Amino acid sequence: MMNTSPTRRGANAALLAFLGAAAIGAPAMAQQARDPNAEAFVQTKAQRVISVLANKGMSEAQKKQVFHQAIDELADVPRVTNFVLGKYARTITPDQRARFAPAFRTYAENVYQDRIDDYKGEVLKVTGSTVRKPGDVIVNTTISGGQISQPLPVSWRVLGGGQTWKVVDVQFKGVWLAITQQQDFVSTIDNAGGNIDVLINQLQKGQGAKGR
Amino acid sequence: MSDKDHSARRRALGRRFSAAGIAAAAGLLALAPAVHAEENAAGSVEANDPLEGFNRGAFKLGMGLDKVLLAPIAHGYMAVTPKPVRNRVSSAVYNLGEPNTVINQVLQGKPKRAMRATTRFVVNSTVGVLGLFDVAAKMNLPRRDSDFGQTFGYYGAGPGAYIYVPLMGPLNVRDGIGRALDMATDPVGAVAGGIGTDFGKARLGVTIVDVRASADPAFHALKDSSDPYVTTRSAYGQYREAFIRQATGQAEDLPDFDAPPPDASAPAATSTP
Repeated sequence: MMNTSPTRRGANAALLAFLGAAAIGAPAMAQQARDPNAEAFVQTKAQRVISVLANKGMSEAQKKQVFHQAIDELADVPRVTNFVLGKYARTITPDQRARFAPAFRTYAENVYQDRIDDYKGEVLKVTGSTVRKPGDVIVNTTISGGQISQPLPVSWRVLGGGQTWKVVDVQFKGVWLAITQQQDFVSTIDNAGGNIDVLINQLQKGQGAKGR
Repeated sequence: MSDKDHSARRRALGRRFSAAGIAAAAGLLALAPAVHAEENAAGSVEANDPLEGFNRGAFKLGMGLDKVLLAPIAHGYMAVTPKPVRNRVSSAVYNLGEPNTVINQVLQGKPKRAMRATTRFVVNSTVGVLGLFDVAAKMNLPRRDSDFGQTFGYYGAGPGAYIYVPLMGPLNVRDGIGRALDMATDPVGAVAGGIGTDFGKARLGVTIVDVRASADPAFHALKDSSDPYVTTRSAYGQYREAFIRQATGQAEDLPDFDAPPPDASAPAATSTP
């Protein structure tokens, strides 16, 4: 690999120049501002949830109970409930919303607990944050310990200000949970000809059948 | 004499091969602006899936095959090996991909990363016992993966149309071409033997089982979704874009959380009274 011939090097330079020119079009944007308050919020609250899930002395039922209470301190559930409906957040009837909200809440508690539980980590460490705009911050963390061989990067999108923050989305391996759920739900409603009840029924049914 | 001729011919052939790769890359880049234009302002959220009908069929078939073929093998493997052992296997599989990472970091004009990946490969292949132990990570040389799909993305190529290939999983045009190039130019395959050799077959087998076992949490997560096809498509797209941002260092373009997206498609017209 070291003895590159001059022609090869020339060709490589030309290739790089060509590719480089193509890359210039890409906008370079990097907001480096951090928000220490948002970071402190995630460090405390998210660590608490992870500690509960990693606690081997607690039964599954106890964990579910604690998670059910902790989620309100950690996450802005009404905001997430609205977000995952996507464009249907504008057309849902009050009656449908009254049925969707509790069904989604139970569903989301299970899903979030399962996802955090999948990795069986123990220690959360904030590695930085990016202020997208004031009050809208991505806090980057790693989760390690337990059965994790490589520290797992997890990002938390938090909204708020000052000392008051709430998580609205969590990212594992580049994938945002709430954004993915929104596409999942909107597609389900689209394929039902716009009938939101189909999704509500599915969520309610899924919870009954799962029972984990 | 004839030996020299032979090696010169082989070198020329190799060069022609890499020229073909470059031509393919250039062709893809030429398409890039058009692909970019299809993306909407909210970034990775809009799906580009003109073959959705076909893909949904392929997805159904793929999940069925997984259930009877790959999942039982992966679950058997997970049942008989403890997690620390599986982590060793994953490290060894990852290590064999490291030379391909080096190639792509060079193509991306990142000599420092390429040097680190080279050092990782040398250290882990020797001190780390054929890559079973990630010794380099403990020497402050953490993993930093790369592939041709990432290189195309780094130079501005958009993902292109989504494709689902049974048993291979989700792909898009950019990363599918990237995957083919990863296999065609893989230095480990060239040196230690491709799919025609026992080494190549063993490597492929171990890789498939390892990848499927590592993806098990994702399959588990799919059971929670109401439209697994769309969830897979969305998660794969986000995963790949995040992987490309690791190379570009760009900030992620996220949708506003409180503003519902505009009705781009027709079904919103069927608003309930």
